[in-house]
Amino acid sequence: MDEGFEPTIIAFVCNWCTYTAADLAGTSRLSYPSNVRLIRVMCTGMVDPKYIIKAFLEGTDAVLVSGCHPGDCHYINGNYKARRRMKLLKTILPQYGFDEKRIKLTWIGASDGIQFAQTIRDMVVEIKALGPNEAKQAAVV
Amino acid sequence: MKPKIGRALVVGGGISGIRAALDLAETGYPVTLVDKAPHLGGILSQLDNQFPTNHCGMCKMLPLVERDAGSQYCLRKGLFHENIDIRTSTEVVGIEGEAGSFTVRLKKQPDFVNPETCIGCGECTNVCPVEVADDFNAGLGKRKAVYLPVPHMMPNTYVIDPAACTRCGECVGVCPTGAIGLFRQGRQDFSVLVVDDEYTVRDSIKEWLEEEGFSVETAASGEEALELLTRQTFKMVLLDIKMPGMDGVEVLKKTKEIFPEMAVVMMTAYATVETAVEAMKTGAMEYLMKPFDPEDLVSKVIAVYETQEASKGEQISAGTVIFCGGTSCYDPSVGKNTFGYKQYPDVVTGLEFERLISGTGPGSGGLVRPSDGKPVEKIAWIQCVGSRDLQSGSDYCSGICCMFAIKEAMLAKEHGPDNLEATIFYMDMRTPGKTFQRFRDRAETEYGVRFTRGRVHTVYQDDKTGKLLLSYPGDGSKRIESAFDMVVLSTGQKPASGAERLAEVGDCELNQWGFAATEPFSSAETKKAGIFLGGSFSGPRDIAESVISAGSASLLASVTLHATGGGMAEVVGDTPEYIDVSHQTPKVRVLLCECGSYGNVDLEIIAVSLKSDPAVEDVLTVPGVCTAEGWDALVKTAKRKGYNRLLLGACMPYAYTRRIKDLGAEVMLDPSLMDVVDIRTPWIISTDGIPNASATQQAIIRNLKSGVSRLIGIDPLPKSSVPVIRGALVVGGGVAGMTAALSIANHGYDVALVEKETGLGGNLDWLKNTIEGWDAAAFSENLQQRVEQHPKIGRHLNSTVISSFGEVGCFYTTIETREAAPVTLQHGVVIIATGGGEAGTEAYGYGKSPAVVTQKELEQKTFSKEIDYKTIDTVAMIQCVGSREEPRNYCSRVCCASTLKHILHMKKENPDLSIYVFYRDMMTYGFTETWFTEARRAGAVFIPYTVDARPEVMVEDGASGVSVTAYEPLLEARVQVNADLLVLATGIVPTLPVSLANAFGAGIDDDGFFMEAEPKWRPLDSLKEGVFACGIALGPRSITESVATAQAAAQRALRILSKTALSRASVTARVRHSLCSLCERCIDVCPYGARSVDIDMQRVLVNATMCQGCGNCASECPNSASVVDGFFDGRMLDMIDMVLD
Repeated sequence: MDEGFEPTIIAFVCNWCTYTAADLAGTSRLSYPSNVRLIRVMCTGMVDPKYIIKAFLEGTDAVLVSGCHPGDCHYINGNYKARRRMKLLKTILPQYGFDEKRIKLTWIGASDGIQFAQTIRDMVVEIKALGPNEAKQAAVV
Repeated sequence: MKPKIGRALVVGGGISGIRAALDLAETGYPVTLVDKAPHLGGILSQLDNQFPTNHCGMCKMLPLVERDAGSQYCLRKGLFHENIDIRTSTEVVGIEGEAGSFTVRLKKQPDFVNPETCIGCGECTNVCPVEVADDFNAGLGKRKAVYLPVPHMMPNTYVIDPAACTRCGECVGVCPTGAIGLFRQGRQDFSVLVVDDEYTVRDSIKEWLEEEGFSVETAASGEEALELLTRQTFKMVLLDIKMPGMDGVEVLKKTKEIFPEMAVVMMTAYATVETAVEAMKTGAMEYLMKPFDPEDLVSKVIAVYETQEASKGEQISAGTVIFCGGTSCYDPSVGKNTFGYKQYPDVVTGLEFERLISGTGPGSGGLVRPSDGKPVEKIAWIQCVGSRDLQSGSDYCSGICCMFAIKEAMLAKEHGPDNLEATIFYMDMRTPGKTFQRFRDRAETEYGVRFTRGRVHTVYQDDKTGKLLLSYPGDGSKRIESAFDMVVLSTGQKPASGAERLAEVGDCELNQWGFAATEPFSSAETKKAGIFLGGSFSGPRDIAESVISAGSASLLASVTLHATGGGMAEVVGDTPEYIDVSHQTPKVRVLLCECGSYGNVDLEIIAVSLKSDPAVEDVLTVPGVCTAEGWDALVKTAKRKGYNRLLLGACMPYAYTRRIKDLGAEVMLDPSLMDVVDIRTPWIISTDGIPNASATQQAIIRNLKSGVSRLIGIDPLPKSSVPVIRGALVVGGGVAGMTAALSIANHGYDVALVEKETGLGGNLDWLKNTIEGWDAAAFSENLQQRVEQHPKIGRHLNSTVISSFGEVGCFYTTIETREAAPVTLQHGVVIIATGGGEAGTEAYGYGKSPAVVTQKELEQKTFSKEIDYKTIDTVAMIQCVGSREEPRNYCSRVCCASTLKHILHMKKENPDLSIYVFYRDMMTYGFTETWFTEARRAGAVFIPYTVDARPEVMVEDGASGVSVTAYEPLLEARVQVNADLLVLATGIVPTLPVSLANAFGAGIDDDGFFMEAEPKWRPLDSLKEGVFACGIALGPRSITESVATAQAAAQRALRILSKTALSRASVTARVRHSLCSLCERCIDVCPYGARSVDIDMQRVLVNATMCQGCGNCASECPNSASVVDGFFDGRMLDMIDMVLD
């Protein structure tokens, strides 16, 4: 495996909770790896599985979907819907040839800047162990 | 939204202040919201989790209709609304005038850090040498004198604590934008005149003061000084007493004649002290003894300067004022302090515990012992610290601490190790809210939290183990001692620290407990017309109750504004017109703020990279857009044509919401076609803690590119709107329904009041007075008269709702009236006030003996004098009959107070009467506790029982009374009471017909009450917009509480009725009908019921007002027919491409 492999992580974060936490991590100057690319969505329930599949096909090494804690969702229950979708997606992702561990769903509340930074750090370690996106490994790109 | 005449002032920016301000702002009134703290949020900014959901969700308070007028981000970060002028670090120092035209004096703490230029980098904090206790973390941990008051607040502007700051100036030097040091610039304008005949004295004083930034003039004699004084403006005079010619005292007198307000400090040698004292009588401020220390002199001048700065103040006019001053927490270190608070570090208060487990707390969220950092295995909560305690002057219940402790115990179980033991020591576990009893039961059964009845007197520390020892009474004579790792004191609520002063300023009264006094049957009205109270300023309240009372206050404020001529009269404002760019190819102009280059980021490289996108028309830089000059430059640049989308690269986007709107109006471009990307905060910090400039630059480029892609994807649709029928339907004619109807009708809107009975009044036709001694019958009579005489209220008695359809803004409801044809009414909103009644029972011999009565029967028999208390000897009362256990597992709130009311009445009639009350937990929350104390003083005996060992009632044939047997824990024996009368507190059941709730699309909870959208933040709304509830339909409550809910619900309704049409927000879902297969999955998934299918048109329709733009429909739609503005699939996929570049 390539020693210098730096995974790219796309994080779909909800406008209300995790985006606030990411901001807090930024303004608190918490150090976390630069591997993450944030995409703000209004609610995790808005994250269509096709976005995630597209992200993998485009070469991301992992996808994080993160929203409000269960019960906290600004839109009542969008995060529950996201949870169901992610569970289904995890079961079909291997059929596309991607390791299901490349998707992670977390709940990170507005004041959990530390948890946000930690989640990213943990993910980088996990994905480094897993190696680059299978599409990149297989295809000649 | 058009502004209305008549401004409201809301004092206090906690939850209730925010609610009141938003309520009025959404109704269209301009509001000034002030808080003496440098941030909004009050105590809630420190609490991450709130009962009974143990989550946050504060953002659910934000506007749901006309969303674009306010902020759409986490409310803990901050708040923005176009009708609210927020003033932090500001206090109200004077209120003059009458309702409708108050003149209010505001005093703002000087900004030592310029909020306009502070970029929140935190360099100042790093160098500040001063450390003080961190008040955000409840005193745990330290903070600097220059600090960020709340870590997640936006904008993240630092402030200086003037009391702690030593003015060393370290921070001024490191501030990259020169934001600190405003006070020095201000000092330039503060000119001091130094008068002394000795050159050396004059000159050295001048030098010292000039070093501190003041301007100084000198005079060698009295005559010269007076001449200078007439020619130039001075703020202060330092005056030597002994001078040749005219002496200091003479100069002082003459100065005071011309400038009576002038601050004069006399300088004197020892020999002339007496003269100096005399000078003080003539109006000198102070005297300094020569020779003096330069520091003494300088600090005196600074003190005068700062007082003058602070008192500059500002006057605003307001038609009405709402005090939402909140409360303070009891300090357990005062008094006898038997719990060893501050003495043992592991004894903490509830708030401190909350901070300990918070991610933004001093320990970053780990649950460890403060003394040694070791994990905690056993925690004890001690209830009623500073509440229900005559010794600490708190003969009231703080109402929230029981739930607070249960929540904390549950959180501890979640955060701590698996073997963590959580024990709550309590007197009565008070869970009087709607879902609170089940919350407590869940804590006990699911979480394993232990509940131990008993008041702990003292906490000791075991010297050997360092553990804390608690000794508490077990059953009977036993004493039990246990060791704990940590003890949490559930400290009570005390009146706010500034309550007395604020009440004085507002000319309102305080009650016997030091909280602001309210008028009978109101939680918001004061003696002073036009001044109202919201939240816990008038007594301890939880979040939901605070939100309700704030709503009640805002309704009364709105009535005041309306009645004093401000009214709903709309001022015709300029509705901004935007150029139609819908048929143009997207051309994006990117403006980069030069502050972005801070941190070694090269704006040129960024510009080149962005220009590679053909949709980017040009990339220009502007100097510091956060400054007034910078913004002017930006407006100038934006006015140059040649683009139809604008992307601004600056700092926190939150700070620009309002400015973008203004800019849109100025350049005639729809603000939804403009966006702000933060190019300053996303510093990529390497794991070694050093900022990585090249990675940061890449991140900024990606962010900007995805911003460009977002803008290209936005479809500039013309705004649509939903028209509003400006009338309300109120279902239920009890006290809540009548109050709601009057509240709306008093604003000039039509109200249809539907009541199924032959007359109005509801429960008040049998409930005659309250525990406070207020005349409920007269209150109801007065309401009925006002309803009957109101020209805007149409009464429909003997009527029921049989069907309804429609959505917010326009409902069609058919009502059926006895012996008449059904009629259909058209209305914009509906308020459900169907109330409730006393629950029936078959327990405890009810129905078998005339001696067994319910509380309602007791009230009726007492009022009709059917019972003569002088002729009976013993009364027994059983609480919680069928309440607080499945299937009616909720507290009915009013029964304990009602029991006390009857006890006090019976004891007044016959002091020798023996009264025995069998209870589980006396729910005398708030000030009702005082009557509990009084009832015990009057001699009533209270005997606790549990559901496992209930009292037993024997009814013997032919006997006039009954016998009640129960276990008495203090005597450790069974006792038998032969009672002439047995009163059963059976509680309240709702009378909300399922068909009625269904007709309006409202939910019903497990117990049959109206299901609120959110128990804390939206306690009066249904999930379906335009449908509200009040009174007992929501849950059991007293008359005063019902009135508050009715007023608050009316205010929620007025937000909608005050508009002729509700406009569509910029992020709203739509349907592309050509792709839609009418599978209706989006309809099921919409949490707001905003979608419906039009059978005739074969289309799925979206109500643009009800839709909140969550996008769940879009990801559910199998055909991508359902889309959300700004988040189209194409755009999302582009964004993914952009960020992976």
